[in-house]
Amino acid sequence: MDRPIAYDKLAREDRFVRMRARDVAQLKVDQGLPPFPDLASRESIRERVHGIMVGELQAMEGAGRTVYDFPDAPWEFTMDMARQVWDESRHVETYLGLLEHLGGRVGEFPESTILWRCACAEDAAARVAGVNRGLEGLACDVFNQLIHIAQKIGDPILEKSVDYVLADEITHVRMGSRWLNELTRGDAERRRRAIEFQETIDERFNLGGTRQDGHHEVVPISIAKEARKLAGFTDEEIERLVKSTQRSQVY
Amino acid sequence: MSSERLSGHFSVDDSARRIRNYRFAEERLTRVLGGWIAVTPELPAKLLFGRHVWDCAQHTDAWGRRLPELRAPAQQSEPANDAMVAFMRLLESPEGPRQTLERIVGVYTVLKPHLVTLYARNLGAANAVYEPPTRRILARCLEEERRHAAAGAIVLRRLGADSNAQHRVAEWQRRLLDALDKAGGVTGDATGALVDETLLGVTPETVAPDLVQTPPDFDPTVLPADLAAAVDAHRKALETADARGVMGWVAPDAQAAVDAAFATLVGGMTATRVVGLAAIGRQQMVKLRVEGARVGGLVQVRWTPTSSGWRIIAAELVSTEPASAAP
Repeated sequence: MDRPIAYDKLAREDRFVRMRARDVAQLKVDQGLPPFPDLASRESIRERVHGIMVGELQAMEGAGRTVYDFPDAPWEFTMDMARQVWDESRHVETYLGLLEHLGGRVGEFPESTILWRCACAEDAAARVAGVNRGLEGLACDVFNQLIHIAQKIGDPILEKSVDYVLADEITHVRMGSRWLNELTRGDAERRRRAIEFQETIDERFNLGGTRQDGHHEVVPISIAKEARKLAGFTDEEIERLVKSTQRSQVY
Repeated sequence: MSSERLSGHFSVDDSARRIRNYRFAEERLTRVLGGWIAVTPELPAKLLFGRHVWDCAQHTDAWGRRLPELRAPAQQSEPANDAMVAFMRLLESPEGPRQTLERIVGVYTVLKPHLVTLYARNLGAANAVYEPPTRRILARCLEEERRHAAAGAIVLRRLGADSNAQHRVAEWQRRLLDALDKAGGVTGDATGALVDETLLGVTPETVAPDLVQTPPDFDPTVLPADLAAAVDAHRKALETADARGVMGWVAPDAQAAVDAAFATLVGGMTATRVVGLAAIGRQQMVKLRVEGARVGGLVQVRWTPTSSGWRIIAAELVSTEPASAAP
């Protein structure tokens, strides 16, 4: 098997419709709709949950590739990534259940592979920085928002399920922070490149200004500062992320 | 204590070597299951692999931690011989999207049942006075590998029900068992059957809760009735090579692009079916599998509601493959 594999080798059942996230957003804007689910209706929540479900699928696939692609990495690194594969498989199960709970079905909305592409970085340090810190950090923000919505609409199944997934994501971010440090120890250039990769992902996933600093009631996706602190992000890193959201106005 | 209780089959060095052999197999399983998740289309298989990567990693780790207690370096793997390396390469070789059954067969009907067989035999032979640390790891790995093999059998039955698939499965299993036999099994010194079915002993019902409940296959009846009627008429026109009929469903300014999306597939088109449906606001992306005499493929067709009913406003050819490779 190639190490790493080409982006387009990502395999799906026929029922999945694959599209670029940017194209989907544009088509919605052309119809006078918000580019991303605004969580204002049950259908919109369902679309968000579907998006998270395919994101978890890609996270499982990405962590699995990391187990395979880096046989010379420290064994404990492989153990953490293998654990993450298992966690992500449970998250897929959780979100499959939530999709059913919300009356949805697999394939109901297009899948974009932007997350998977981030998981294909050739360097292990870049991969954990981008995926575990960038994308799992985004997951903390999105799940925190979803828990808030679930509380607001009185859906304890959605609330509790997502809260457990959020707890795992915080663990994954911690793993990312640990391995970013350990894999780049004594190699400042490698560390710089990995962090730069993470920052490009942070910028991309500000989703055209959808992620912002502010209260859940006021902004579409609020930066989950407390969850991020628990996960090991420094105040400085959170501040940098806040600043980056202020310059991301296109999707 | 009778001296008989202190008799044993394995020296410390022998035990360490066997453990390095086990670790080699479990580590390879960890990595290859992890790597296969992305290249496996079917959700039941994808999630089966996803569930077991962590268990295999823990088996690998447990064996690796035991080694220093036997005067050997920690976390080292060692294949029994070159033939064992060749066996693993063969097991890992099915990478194509249509080779899921081969992947499941290799891991769940050959290697894991073989490990069950070896672990059970080793557990039966390991001394109860001075080898309990090894025995505990054996007992855990044995139990979990049994459950894995049973879970794999459930998924294999679900995905490989037709007779062609069963023939493929049997042939691949035979090739792998031959390769494993040349190696003398994972430890290079296996005697007796490489897979002892009587040791598997876990019913599929017992392990069914271990598996992720995957959703049912796509059901075309999810299409709204008016869209379904339009899609069916469009498909019929495609299958009968009725160019005017096809274009009657396409918005005028999209005709050239839609024509181009189907260009590779026209001529000898034998059947079409709807395999997916995704909403983009009010628009619907209908995914078609097109079968032809020589070539088949997948096309995503975007429909929009208009004042005169549903119309196609875009189409994209997703993939093509020779007719012989179509599912």
